[in-house]
Amino acid sequence: MLNRLLRKTHRKKVKNEQSSNEKNTLKESDIDANLENTINLFKSLYSYSDNQDVILRTIHIPGINKNAAIFFINTITNPMSIEDYIVSPLLQNNDATKQVEDIITVQSMKTNTRISDIVTHINNGNTALFVDGEKHAYLIGSSNFEGRAVEKTQNENVVKGPKEAFNEKAATNISLIRKKIKSESLVVESLIISKRSRNDLYIVYEKDLVDDKLLQNVKNRVNSLDVDAVQNLSLLEQHIEERKYSIFPTVLYTERPDRAASFIEDGYIVLLMDNSPDSLVLPATFWSFFHTSEEHYLRFPYGNFTRLLRIMALFITLFTSSVYVAVVTYHSEMVPPDLLLAIAATREKVPFPAAVEVFLMEFAFELIREAGLRVPSPIGPTIGIVGALILGQAAVQANIVSPIVVIIVALGGLSSFAIGDISMNFTVRIGRLLLLFAASFMGLFGLTALFTMGIFYMVSIKSFGVPYLSPLTPFYASSGDKIFRKVLQKEILRPGYVKPKDIKKR
Amino acid sequence: MEQSKQLIGIKEYVAIALLMIGTKLTDDTPSIIFENVKNAGWMTPIINGLIAIIPIYFLMKVVTNYKSKNLAEVTDHLFGKFFSFLILLLLLAVGLSAVIIDTAIYTDIIGTMYFSKTPTIIIYGILMFVCAYGASRGFEQIGSVAWIVFPYLQGSLLLALILTIGQGNTAFLFPLFGPGTWEVVKESSLKLSIYADFLYLFLFYPYIKNSKVFKKGTWLSFILIVINMSISMACYVFLFDYQSIMQLNYPYHEVIRTITFGFMINMEALFLPFWLIASFVRFSIYLYVIAILFGHLFKIKHFEYLIPSLATSIVFLGMIPESPTFAIFNLRENLILIVSPLFFFLPCLMWLVAKLKGEYKNANKKKVG
Repeated sequence: MLNRLLRKTHRKKVKNEQSSNEKNTLKESDIDANLENTINLFKSLYSYSDNQDVILRTIHIPGINKNAAIFFINTITNPMSIEDYIVSPLLQNNDATKQVEDIITVQSMKTNTRISDIVTHINNGNTALFVDGEKHAYLIGSSNFEGRAVEKTQNENVVKGPKEAFNEKAATNISLIRKKIKSESLVVESLIISKRSRNDLYIVYEKDLVDDKLLQNVKNRVNSLDVDAVQNLSLLEQHIEERKYSIFPTVLYTERPDRAASFIEDGYIVLLMDNSPDSLVLPATFWSFFHTSEEHYLRFPYGNFTRLLRIMALFITLFTSSVYVAVVTYHSEMVPPDLLLAIAATREKVPFPAAVEVFLMEFAFELIREAGLRVPSPIGPTIGIVGALILGQAAVQANIVSPIVVIIVALGGLSSFAIGDISMNFTVRIGRLLLLFAASFMGLFGLTALFTMGIFYMVSIKSFGVPYLSPLTPFYASSGDKIFRKVLQKEILRPGYVKPKDIKKR
Repeated sequence: MEQSKQLIGIKEYVAIALLMIGTKLTDDTPSIIFENVKNAGWMTPIINGLIAIIPIYFLMKVVTNYKSKNLAEVTDHLFGKFFSFLILLLLLAVGLSAVIIDTAIYTDIIGTMYFSKTPTIIIYGILMFVCAYGASRGFEQIGSVAWIVFPYLQGSLLLALILTIGQGNTAFLFPLFGPGTWEVVKESSLKLSIYADFLYLFLFYPYIKNSKVFKKGTWLSFILIVINMSISMACYVFLFDYQSIMQLNYPYHEVIRTITFGFMINMEALFLPFWLIASFVRFSIYLYVIAILFGHLFKIKHFEYLIPSLATSIVFLGMIPESPTFAIFNLRENLILIVSPLFFFLPCLMWLVAKLKGEYKNANKKKVG
């Protein structure tokens, strides 16, 4: 019985495969000069009449006395332009000597004979014009996908500096970058990266800066994808990164066109896609996750003050809770007696060991953060009240946690927000929990052991061939934009680790 | 392992050398020196340093004569298969026993000073696990880590020393020559092998960017190590005087327990993590050295894969001595005495053989198999 069932389904699959194979071979052929045949072919390809938004309009062109058909998908095209620049000129033509190309008054037009190419164009919102007796189709640019306008940044906010962010339309995003780099050497290459959904990927770089090897590496990795669909860059990032299980991100994800542009000007490569309100920057180093664009917009002392705060926040996030647990549990003799007495007094009525206490609070904090993110915005403020009041105040009064633990966890949690990049933020939070585990088991020894292993791990990561901590180590010629930045006039070198063709900025 | 081999620069190399050898001032090496030369112990690193210039100079001459050959390959070339095997085996034995003894000491330090209730095997195991992990990442990565952490480690040492000087008594330094001039020179020279690790540095020669970086880096780190060691040993004397320092096994740890800074009365929590990081990196380097030698001797090409098993065997060998604080102290003292002549004469011998074989004349068209 089972066997028969299996065979049955298998047979069905084979049949399906056959029909899809037939379709594929059909797509690779050229179109027919006979208009009737062509129309029937496209009707069957697009399941015309079932497919509500596929439009076929047959017309007669008076001047040259030929039948023609216009084929497009009306939800992704601009009906006005089809009406004004294609249909009316064709219908009103009286000149017998004019070619079709001369009748149509639209900006961009191509001719193509291959069915698969024509289909791709139609799917991208272009209009196909078939004329009886001609062995090619006219493909007329008329695409108009719906999307939102350019808006303010949501995640990488700045006080000083440009506020516009990428949106879900790649064309808009490219235009935002071109607005910043007005140079003929800025290249926008496009590739189709998925087999079924035919998603476009745009590779943006400056051709007289980018390292050819790096570019080839990126292209190879993108071309070697064998997937049905890659909807957006967040998914593509996971397809092209090297270490899929690592907690460290190796591709930078930014929603700021100004940031993307400044990376391009340094010889990096930027990837753009439709449906992604952001861009991917390759290769990425640890420092690119640590920096924000605002530090260069602020004056030198202000920018570096921010950097100082951030590096301190990074270490506070990573170490406060674990050091507290380590010291209270294993090294209490190291704490000054007064402080030790203060801690002991607050912990007097708490029934848990310090590690459990801190874990409880950390867990609660992560829960509040996650809940705050997912909660529908009308009831958002409730979460704040519940989080602060119940988990903070009440937990202390109920002697479940001691007040000092609330301070420690709140300090660590608050500091973790200073790392703006979403991926690095996760890295730091997961790292903090791991360090807390290590400190709970082996005190400062375990903490240091894990930290040392972490550094060893970090230096062995590479993002598209670039060491993660360069230019700190290994050393490369660069402007030295690591923890602190230099005065703008002294930043005259492009980062050497991306091997730009021209390392000097002027 | 799968990383591409990239050559390391001078910063990383100096950091490696300093962490590998300079860290000695925080274990029981100072106590061994103080034992015989009393309060003139701080001079020993300087006197030894002056003597050590000779073997290092000769070795530098010999090894840099060959492009991209490490110490082991040069030995092969100079002494022939059989003798070089014996010499390298001796070096391996010395290196391995040094690593075993040193890791046992460091484990003992952690155990007796900070984690007196934790079983030794756990401390030892974690220590060697981290080092094995670090070493198996590859030499370039060790160098990078060494350079990342080095400034902070040096900074923490400097802070400790400044606080020590503030609380110490400089009068303890006198009489300047302690037990007598001749005694100091004689006893010092017997402990020449505190610098014997420089021999092993020459195994890294092919990994360094070029011979100029190697020469400059070696001498720079040599000077820095001599300065670091003698200053910190002088500081130990300032704080404890020679009588009690001879009783102390681990003076550095007593120092960081003793010093205070304002309201912070116990500061070892501040210094312990830095010292731990230094130790982890130090033994990663040693493990790598042993792996190179082992791999070369027994013709194992991918010697990085040896590191985990080497680390495991080190843990079990290091666990053997009972009451390690005393047993290992003696073992180490003897090792230092035995290795001293080896460190002095081997480079001289190599130089002599090379000279007799006429290696320097046709150095430029060298291509030796």
